[in-house]
Amino acid sequence: MTSGAAERRLGWALCAPAVLAMLVVTAYPILYAFWLSLHHYDLRFPDEQAFVGLRNYASVLSSAVWWQALLNTLIITITSVAVELVLGLALALLMHRTFFARQFVRASILIPYGTITVVAALAWKFAFDPTVGFVNVLFGVDQAWFSERWSAFFVIILTEIWKTTPFMALLLLAGLTLVPQELLKAARVDGASSLQRFFRITLPLMRPVLLVALLFRTLDAFRIFDTVFVQTRGAQETESVSIIGYNALIVRLNLGLGSTVSVLIFVCVIVIGALFIKGFGITLDPRRST
Amino acid sequence: MVSGARTLTGSLLQRSFWGFGSVVAVAYALLPMIWILSLSFKDKRSLTDNRFIPSSISLENYRAIADDPQFSAAIINSLGIGLISTLLAVVLAMFAAYAIVRLDFPGKRLVLLGALSIAMFPPIAIIGPLFNLWRISGLFDTWLGLIIPYMTFTLPLAIWTLSAFFRELPWELDKAARVDGATPFQTFRYVIAPLAIPGVFTSAILVFIFSWNDFLFATALTSTDDARTVPAALAFFTGSSRFEQPTGSIAAASVVVSLPIALMVLLFQRRIIAGLTSGAVKG
Amino acid sequence: MIRVARCRPIGVAALVVLLASCGQGGTDVTPRLQWYVFDEPSGAFDAAAKRCSAAAHGAYRVETASLPASADQQREQLVRRLAAGDRDIDIIGMDVIWTAEFAEAGWILPWPGAWAQSAKQGRLAPTVQSALYEGKLWAVPFTSNTQLLWYRTDRVTEAPDTWDKMIRRAQALGENGTIQVQGERYEGLTVFFVSLLASAGGSVLDEQGQSVSLDARATQEALEIMRRLARSSVTDRMLSTSREDEARLAFEAGESSFMVNYTFVWPSAHSNTPQVAENMGWARWPSVQEGQPSRVAIGGINLGVSAHSRYPEFAFEAALCIASESHQRLAAAQGGLPPTLEALYDDRRVREVFPFADVLRETLKDGVQRPQSPLYSDISLAISRTLHPMTNIDPQADVARLRSAVARSLRSEGLF
Repeated sequence: MTSGAAERRLGWALCAPAVLAMLVVTAYPILYAFWLSLHHYDLRFPDEQAFVGLRNYASVLSSAVWWQALLNTLIITITSVAVELVLGLALALLMHRTFFARQFVRASILIPYGTITVVAALAWKFAFDPTVGFVNVLFGVDQAWFSERWSAFFVIILTEIWKTTPFMALLLLAGLTLVPQELLKAARVDGASSLQRFFRITLPLMRPVLLVALLFRTLDAFRIFDTVFVQTRGAQETESVSIIGYNALIVRLNLGLGSTVSVLIFVCVIVIGALFIKGFGITLDPRRST
Repeated sequence: MVSGARTLTGSLLQRSFWGFGSVVAVAYALLPMIWILSLSFKDKRSLTDNRFIPSSISLENYRAIADDPQFSAAIINSLGIGLISTLLAVVLAMFAAYAIVRLDFPGKRLVLLGALSIAMFPPIAIIGPLFNLWRISGLFDTWLGLIIPYMTFTLPLAIWTLSAFFRELPWELDKAARVDGATPFQTFRYVIAPLAIPGVFTSAILVFIFSWNDFLFATALTSTDDARTVPAALAFFTGSSRFEQPTGSIAAASVVVSLPIALMVLLFQRRIIAGLTSGAVKG
Repeated sequence: MIRVARCRPIGVAALVVLLASCGQGGTDVTPRLQWYVFDEPSGAFDAAAKRCSAAAHGAYRVETASLPASADQQREQLVRRLAAGDRDIDIIGMDVIWTAEFAEAGWILPWPGAWAQSAKQGRLAPTVQSALYEGKLWAVPFTSNTQLLWYRTDRVTEAPDTWDKMIRRAQALGENGTIQVQGERYEGLTVFFVSLLASAGGSVLDEQGQSVSLDARATQEALEIMRRLARSSVTDRMLSTSREDEARLAFEAGESSFMVNYTFVWPSAHSNTPQVAENMGWARWPSVQEGQPSRVAIGGINLGVSAHSRYPEFAFEAALCIASESHQRLAAAQGGLPPTLEALYDDRRVREVFPFADVLRETLKDGVQRPQSPLYSDISLAISRTLHPMTNIDPQADVARLRSAVARSLRSEGLF
């Protein structure tokens, strides 16, 4: 190949456009968001822009709505990711083992992944709707699902789970294929039951993949927006942090206050990421992949 | 792996267990889509009959959306914006992935880590600044205004999957080809490129699915048929009357926009699975 | 026809050539005025646009561009584009509650002297008031709206004139006694509260519109009624998600005997459920205090001119034309939208559509404004958020909660 310096230059040159694009569209706006969060900046009062220090932060953090939304988001995140993990594992095992219409099963599993979130949210919303839906009739109940907080949460979380379990399952499937069959066979010969084999061999070996999948899905669930927007628009105390950020930014056009919410969400994401890396010892070291 | 799995699914009991599981899984995955399909076939009268399977098939809703200029504009916007951002993201990612796999230079870890952190970045955090910048620069409610964020947010995915694919390519072949007298371009054109195409194609599918699916950017950064994409159009679908919920039309539109993706998923199932998992296993 | 150049400046360099999504420069040079307004199904707005284009004799054309059905969504769509300086918006069909916000933000133009005079001419005072901010007129009142009390004449011989009497009457009716009101967390809940509050003699803001009023006695009285409604068996079990249309549908289903709602329910009942319509009576909204007539929040559409319009002069002229007597009559007769011109309430055609024209006019004359503040949308969210769901209202404690929520929204603080 080319000699050192030339190779370095070529490497940088080839990476530059992608890196530049990523920096311009994420790093710069997040800095701008931070700047906005220190200002009174409301597009409805174009003449009143001023530096206000941390006042917007005081305003958001003293607002019951923020804490309510944060709690809601955590409820949605934790419940959906926990259920997805169990369901995802089951699906992964199924895809790993089954020979019954294998291709068809795998293709069907991908349908939720490919479905537009808004479409999924609408489909479930209509399904649970008392006037057009089939769910109430099927289960013989008479429930106005979206007029009460916990039942609305139930549908929102169900939609999330339906839509994203396949992604989880695929990542876990990749982990399953890493488990050496010889090891399982040897354990079987030694008299380990299938449950023992699963918990003592398969699961520990899958741990790295499992944690990466968990981290990805947790952060993804934390930014939930589409489903809540379509199904309740945040009514009945179901709003997520992304919804209140959107309301402040786009509905109220209060960019100062809204950017404060944005920055706080960004901080939450960093904290979650750090917790995973420190707490579970996830390694996201790309060296292994080069 | 295949032979191993075969021995593990030995007994008839086990076979029927996994067979039953497969049926449940397929039902789980398809249920909402079948439901929205059947809803889309109901006419005004039977829309509220609460039946899962329609009693009769009506194309009324499909005719309604075919006549709706909002809907066709949204499809054109979604396709155009999706394809252009896919093209841009994949081309930029190809350069980067090639450099990462084939060249040695300081900072390549940083590129991969940076890409990874952007994959976890919450888009809501930059909606406000982007809205303000787009408002001032005139990018608000334009195709370019969506292409830029879509391209950026899909770059990480594209770079990771492409790096994984490129790593598998038999790059030694180019030496052999050159020994046989081929020019570097010929080597690339006839040896490497054909082998790389499946990987490029896979990451293109994944990137396109992302753009086709996005709702947050689409609702915040557009406002008219000039650039509004399918998800936003569906969520704001007004229908013809002020007080009637256009449920039937929304169902029909949902079916129409889900078909291309469903088809793609069925056709390229293997590739998509490979693409989605490559990063996870090796990363 | 080809549109006049719709090119938007695109700031970022690359790709522009590839993407320039500009419309082609046109050969047709007749200025096109875009009138943004909610989608009016009867076609009365389109007809008005056509007639006003014809009246312009080629000077300009007016075209309607439709907005979503709900006022919240209309505003959300519009403000983003107005903040982005969109030049394609000329005339805006503004909900009465947007005047102060749009004026303060510099998105609409104040009406100059002579035009302002004709815009006020002959119109009901509260409708003109709704288009005023800081002493200037910002829009021409086009259609108005307000709520009446609708009731079943076959079950109730005389309409109750207070909320107390209505609730007791409904309880006596038992199963068929339901009262339909708007209880969802949205603008309609604010309207309900503001109307009750005004009827009790209170107001949300002081007269200057700068600080919180919310007089303790009046506020408590309004909250008592809301709580009593929600806690008794007389409201729908879907109360917490009920909007105007849910209320209408439930009333048409027949099990309800009372409903507070806008006038669209009258033609709707006649076409959907004639057997209900036959027994449908109307009366003024119930009072809070016996002998004190109720004061109900007014709604409706005023026509403003966008500050970014290319043809403001034409837009003023066209807006006046759209809001003129003949088009108000058309909007009333064909679309069921109450006029802002007082004289039209004596018009034969209008009275055919609105047999309740007299009650409607009286209600509108006493109509109350929702707070005329540029922060109205925040204030409204603060109110509806504090009072939802109605079952959890605590009249004593919530006076203080409501005051602090409105005060925070006036300082642009807090989230909704």
